[in-house]
Amino acid sequence: MERKLRGRGMAASWYGIARTATIDRAGAWAELDDGGTAKIVTGVTEIGEGILTLLAQVAADELGIKPSEVTIGDNDTARSPEAAHAGATRQTYMIGNSVHLAAREAKKHLFEQLADHWGVEIDSLQSFDGEVWSNDSNLRITMEEAVVICKARGVVPVGSASFTAHGTGLDPVDGSGSPWQTYVFGTQVAEVEVDTYTGEVQVLGIWAVHDVGRAINPRGVEGQIEGGVVQGLGQALMEDYQTVNGHTSTHGFAKYILPTSLDIPQINCTLVEDHDPLSPLGAKGIGEPALVPTAPAIMNAIYDAIGVRMKSLPATPEKILEALNKKTHGREHYVSAAREQRAQAHRG
Amino acid sequence: MPKLKIDLEVNNRKISKETDAHKRLLDFLRDDLNLTGTKEGCGAGECGTCSVFVDGKLVKSCLMPVAKASGAKIETIEGLADPGSLTPMQKAFHKTGASQCGYCIPGMVMAATSALRENPKADIEEIKERLGGNICRCTGYTKIFEAVELAKAVIAGDMPEEALNEEEVGKSYIGHNVRRLDAPSKVSGRLRYAADMKMHDMLQMQVLRSPHPHAKIVSIDTSEAEAMDGVVCVITSDDVPEQTDGFGVFVHDQPIMARGKVRHVGEAVAAVAAEDLVIARKALSKIKVVYEELPGVYDPEDAMKKGAAVVHDYAPDNIVKHIPVRKGDVDTGFANADLILEDEFSTQQVEHAYLEPEAGIAYVDADDVVVVISPSQNITHHRHMLSHILGLPINKVRFIMSPVGGGFGGKEDMIYQGMLAVVAMKTHRPVQLNFTREESIIASAKRHPSRTHYKMGLKWNGEITAIQFSMISDGGAYGMSSEGVMRKAAILSCGPYEVHNLSVDTTAVYTNNTPSGAFRTFGGMQAQFATESMMDMAAEALGMDPFEIRRINMMKIGSKTHTQHKLTAASLDRCLDAAETESRWEKGTPNVRGDKRSDLGGDDTRAPCTLGARFTNGKNTNEERVA
Repeated sequence: MERKLRGRGMAASWYGIARTATIDRAGAWAELDDGGTAKIVTGVTEIGEGILTLLAQVAADELGIKPSEVTIGDNDTARSPEAAHAGATRQTYMIGNSVHLAAREAKKHLFEQLADHWGVEIDSLQSFDGEVWSNDSNLRITMEEAVVICKARGVVPVGSASFTAHGTGLDPVDGSGSPWQTYVFGTQVAEVEVDTYTGEVQVLGIWAVHDVGRAINPRGVEGQIEGGVVQGLGQALMEDYQTVNGHTSTHGFAKYILPTSLDIPQINCTLVEDHDPLSPLGAKGIGEPALVPTAPAIMNAIYDAIGVRMKSLPATPEKILEALNKKTHGREHYVSAAREQRAQAHRG
Repeated sequence: MPKLKIDLEVNNRKISKETDAHKRLLDFLRDDLNLTGTKEGCGAGECGTCSVFVDGKLVKSCLMPVAKASGAKIETIEGLADPGSLTPMQKAFHKTGASQCGYCIPGMVMAATSALRENPKADIEEIKERLGGNICRCTGYTKIFEAVELAKAVIAGDMPEEALNEEEVGKSYIGHNVRRLDAPSKVSGRLRYAADMKMHDMLQMQVLRSPHPHAKIVSIDTSEAEAMDGVVCVITSDDVPEQTDGFGVFVHDQPIMARGKVRHVGEAVAAVAAEDLVIARKALSKIKVVYEELPGVYDPEDAMKKGAAVVHDYAPDNIVKHIPVRKGDVDTGFANADLILEDEFSTQQVEHAYLEPEAGIAYVDADDVVVVISPSQNITHHRHMLSHILGLPINKVRFIMSPVGGGFGGKEDMIYQGMLAVVAMKTHRPVQLNFTREESIIASAKRHPSRTHYKMGLKWNGEITAIQFSMISDGGAYGMSSEGVMRKAAILSCGPYEVHNLSVDTTAVYTNNTPSGAFRTFGGMQAQFATESMMDMAAEALGMDPFEIRRINMMKIGSKTHTQHKLTAASLDRCLDAAETESRWEKGTPNVRGDKRSDLGGDDTRAPCTLGARFTNGKNTNEERVA
């Protein structure tokens, strides 16, 4: 038997978007502001996933300005409309659509004034990247000028919106119900190398394919997938919060082992964009689903490499060696060879 | 408190200051100089969020007593570039999206800067090794590696500076890689998280935590602590209205502070608010709590046995929640099966390990509104619960969500905000509580561990005829998100496959272990780990390719889910096709064929890493090791 063996495994997954088995909702306010900028107020704060940038993109695209011209305040129960919690892979879907709709309403008020001012049909108006124009004419101004015109006519272009996702509760007896209105699917492939002397597993490659609906910021989506994969890898191979009679024996990062830069596989992301038909943006979500298939794909790859089925996570070197010992008669030989090799390296 | 006169240079400014002798360089930078870009993530030199340069060398400032820095030249994240500008490394982090929550990022930028200062030609393996002392929990490091390589190329002149600029927009900002708007504040250390905020006249809080997993509280004597100079107040459950005390995401079973008994090690028993952190810490040792230890339960299966110790009186069977899902007729399904596989799977408890430990501030404003600022993932619900507990109108409780230094579900539970509010109301002074890493680990929820018994019936052609799935999870001492986690685990249990006959049960159980709660995937991962393992085992038994068996069973448009929801959209077919193509998958039965595969390796994999291999043939081995 070779010391280092490689293998590949795969796993598929699915997940629901937004809060589970209940109606989910989120509200937002929008204002096209002086200078052709915009204010968005909603119950959101960045938890790292990139939601502020995403919402700025959504608002900017709908209003026709640049994302950097959008101001989003932090989440504050006394100052912003309810958009509920930062979790459940719901922020892009719930708040994204809510901001999109609020921005649409603010823009409608501006366009009504501008269409009247220019004497053109409202449907002929378009805006992008800080400019507003009418397709029926050569009229074209900046958004800054458009806001001045709108306000001079006595109108502040504001909008508000609420977005709803219609989940239903589960039947208490048979669990039937429609817990979400939107689902995502994914598939990951893992390639591993197992050191049969030490039991260490290195993940060399992950191919992560996920349906995210419409990708608002592809690089941001990749970041979520990469982060999810590495958390999945941690759970698969090393992380283990342990207690002994209720007392933890893993009280800090010296004992609780986390993936660091040397553990990271090459992660190859592929986005499947199956647009959500039930929401104006068409986006879904990726925060949680990215993690789901990683650990089983790695376990399936370990099996492919060494013929040992790891059914208990994490697959630590100790557990891998124990399983290999049970599987392979005469494994003690390898273990003593490894010990001798280490001793030699030490002497050298 | 013993004082110390310190002379040193920080970011090219000469500093001469008297400070407390016990301080670490980290405390001196943050508290005395307000340089809060340097973060505390673990206080033990493990995570790297506090990395700074001392005389040009990368150092973890939590491990250096400030006295040792006397006479040194210190460079912090704030000193890398002039205000308003960024170094190429910081710009590269911005460009590639290398910052997510941002809490590790100042330290990561310092480590990356150090890597290229030490060796401007470092290859990717060396860069990875040099970043090895810095933990990032959000990004999966991939975009960080990309950033360092980009910065390296720009600094070396191999790429133009324009490579750091944002991509040009096409016809829409949707689908465009807009650079993160929050990144400049994160890569420069300017963004203030809750622990970085200071208010005038602010008190510091410390929490006395239970040393026992299960014990009756006979008495708490706070008099000696309260009499200490600098202690402003000590609170216990006596300061919270008993009738309304209790919070939780689903069931409100957790008091603001332990009431009558403690149910897990680390549970809050009392809290001190004092003029400074040192006094608050000292005061904790003056609080006398008499406990009467109770028998505990530490295993969910033991906890369900008759006669087991009861964790919560309202749940004499220790069951937090059981979720059943039934569809079709499993008996018929198994009777029609050609092959039945049965096995057990288990997953462990997992710590969120966000780099930002819990932190918060509370104060009462001029309109008598109780304001709590914290990185809570659910301020909407926290406001509801706290106004109910404190008996205040909902508009007299205000929650502000501070930038979250990583959450992953672990900051959904209101485990400390209540104590802050009570002190603010009692003292009418702002009060701050910053958890240590150890406190964060014992007091916050974990990912539910799971034990799953799995039975799957299949036809020779690979079609699943029936699944019986039963999962037991240790919910720990409080309900937190257990109910929802069990629900999601049950709904998703049997994976993205249309199964006509299934019987699914998920059960969360109270024990005296650290509570389990919300964690990215909310039960979905635990359940699908079992399913996806079974699918491969079935594929091997049936001699089928793993993609093939999944295609045979996958959900499609019109499929009915496990909860009998008819799907109007489904994309698994596209995901499977893309994964098979992109990974250059070689078809075959998963029967330990690793050594025969021809699809291994290639540009889309990394080389295996052997620690120290970089040095074995090099000339400067010893020099490098000493450095």
